[in-house]
Amino acid sequence: MQQKTTDELITQEMLLKIPYRWAAGEHIGEFLRELRRSGKIYANKCPKCGRFRCPPAPVCSRCHTKMEEREKWVHVGPKGTLLSFFVAEQSFLVPTTGDMLEVPFSVGVIWLDGAPVALWHQLEETNPDKIKVGMRVEAVFKPKEQRQANIFDILHFKAI
Amino acid sequence: MPQRVAIVGIGQTRHTSRRPDVNDGELINEAVSAALADAQLTMKDIEAVIIGNMEFFEGHHLNDAMLIDYTGARGKAGLKMNTGGTVGTMEVISGCYHVASGLFDTCLVIGWEKHDEASTTSCITTITDPAVDRPYAVGALSGLAIISMNYMTRTGCKVEHAAMVRAQASENASRNPNAHVRDRLSVEDVLKGRMVLYPLNLYFLCPTSVGACALVLASETKAKKISRKPVWIRDHITVHSDYSGALFTFPGETRETSHMVAGRKIFQRNHITKPIREIQVFELYDPCAFLQMSWLEDFGICDQGEAWKLVEKGVTAREGEFPVCPSGGVLCTNAIGDSGTLRVAEAALQIRGDAGEHQVTRDVKAALASGYGGSYWTDLLLLSKTPD
Ligand SMILES: [Zn+2]
Repeated sequence: MQQKTTDELITQEMLLKIPYRWAAGEHIGEFLRELRRSGKIYANKCPKCGRFRCPPAPVCSRCHTKMEEREKWVHVGPKGTLLSFFVAEQSFLVPTTGDMLEVPFSVGVIWLDGAPVALWHQLEETNPDKIKVGMRVEAVFKPKEQRQANIFDILHFKAI
Repeated sequence: MPQRVAIVGIGQTRHTSRRPDVNDGELINEAVSAALADAQLTMKDIEAVIIGNMEFFEGHHLNDAMLIDYTGARGKAGLKMNTGGTVGTMEVISGCYHVASGLFDTCLVIGWEKHDEASTTSCITTITDPAVDRPYAVGALSGLAIISMNYMTRTGCKVEHAAMVRAQASENASRNPNAHVRDRLSVEDVLKGRMVLYPLNLYFLCPTSVGACALVLASETKAKKISRKPVWIRDHITVHSDYSGALFTFPGETRETSHMVAGRKIFQRNHITKPIREIQVFELYDPCAFLQMSWLEDFGICDQGEAWKLVEKGVTAREGEFPVCPSGGVLCTNAIGDSGTLRVAEAALQIRGDAGEHQVTRDVKAALASGYGGSYWTDLLLLSKTPD
């Protein structure tokens, strides 16, 4: 403005609070149903180039071939090897819940036994000095009656 | 035959953590006015306008229409872009397509962000797969931490090297009046930073800034007529990665990231065999200190596992043989929608010799600028002093 009339700055406070309902789809849906039903983690494989995907995908992103049928999905894990990790020590607003993240919060990239696939998931151990790349970990599932066909059916991964 | 494209106007705002004194339109207009003044043009001379940011950060959408008074786009062609971390470079590339096509002789490109208006990290968390990954993502930080940890494991790089990268960035930013975080930090200062997401402390991560950057692009005929110091966009490339393979390669699997493909292709088709000798400056999109090193390797500037050694030797310093981010980079200034545009702008200023206190010491004939981010893709631009 050419001439300021005041030094007072006006800001408008607002909160966007929007509920969503996201369709998991055929492949991720079946992956989540299996977590609830059998407590097993599944991956699928490209019949042409051999690349695996977890959660299973309909089409190979590398060679665009239709991925293998449900009967050929392979069971991976529950044990695996830690490829990388982080430990959040500062809290942040979690957009899916509106709550602040409980810290320390540690997450690992876990190479599941049985195929070259990795899953990001919570680690039980939160002390970074006790977490090592290359360490062996295992998925801990919720008791069957508490499972809800979501990723939280796996409680976390613990060191073995 | 596509038209050659030149940058004929460069404008940016100062960058800071908060600008409650202006709204988004007023912020943008500062950069637009500066770019037009630099080009010695008026809005009448502009034929198309491209604008971009990450809309979620400011919480209002359709901003291309709402901001039209400030961008000058009324009655003109153009696009709005919202491609995450790559917004700023995608806009420049899109502007290039507009001009190179021969349909437009001038195009104004505007990248901007006002990070002070919402929670950046919670907004970015929504880039992840909602069913499987989202609960385990902490904005962009988690990906940066996972890559950093992997880089150290693969190459023997130590935390101290990342601290050297950050100390060097802060030295550069202290010379750049438009940079956001301009405090000079020693390696020891950086190592003492508050831990945010182990292994990343506050100083290994880019800040959240407020700012805007605008460029005027012109066709060869127009540029030669109106500009004393046109900077030529010799080539550019965009390479996508698949979501599942973006951050990680398995032991035994050959690494092939979008950066690797982009670097290989652009150097090959421009007959550049030793980029470290043939290019004089790289404004690399570096949101995290470890990634500046990992990505120099992936772009093919040096061999895998060698970048931290170059940092140790001072090669990437402003006075070094291959200066990286003499502006201070994304590590010191990060208004996301503007970060990529700013990389191109800063590389162009180096070619013009107009970077002031943070001008590199060698004559710059060719420069690189990159962008990276959601949705896991790479933009790489090659700029030069001469059109061929
Ligand atoms: Zn395939």
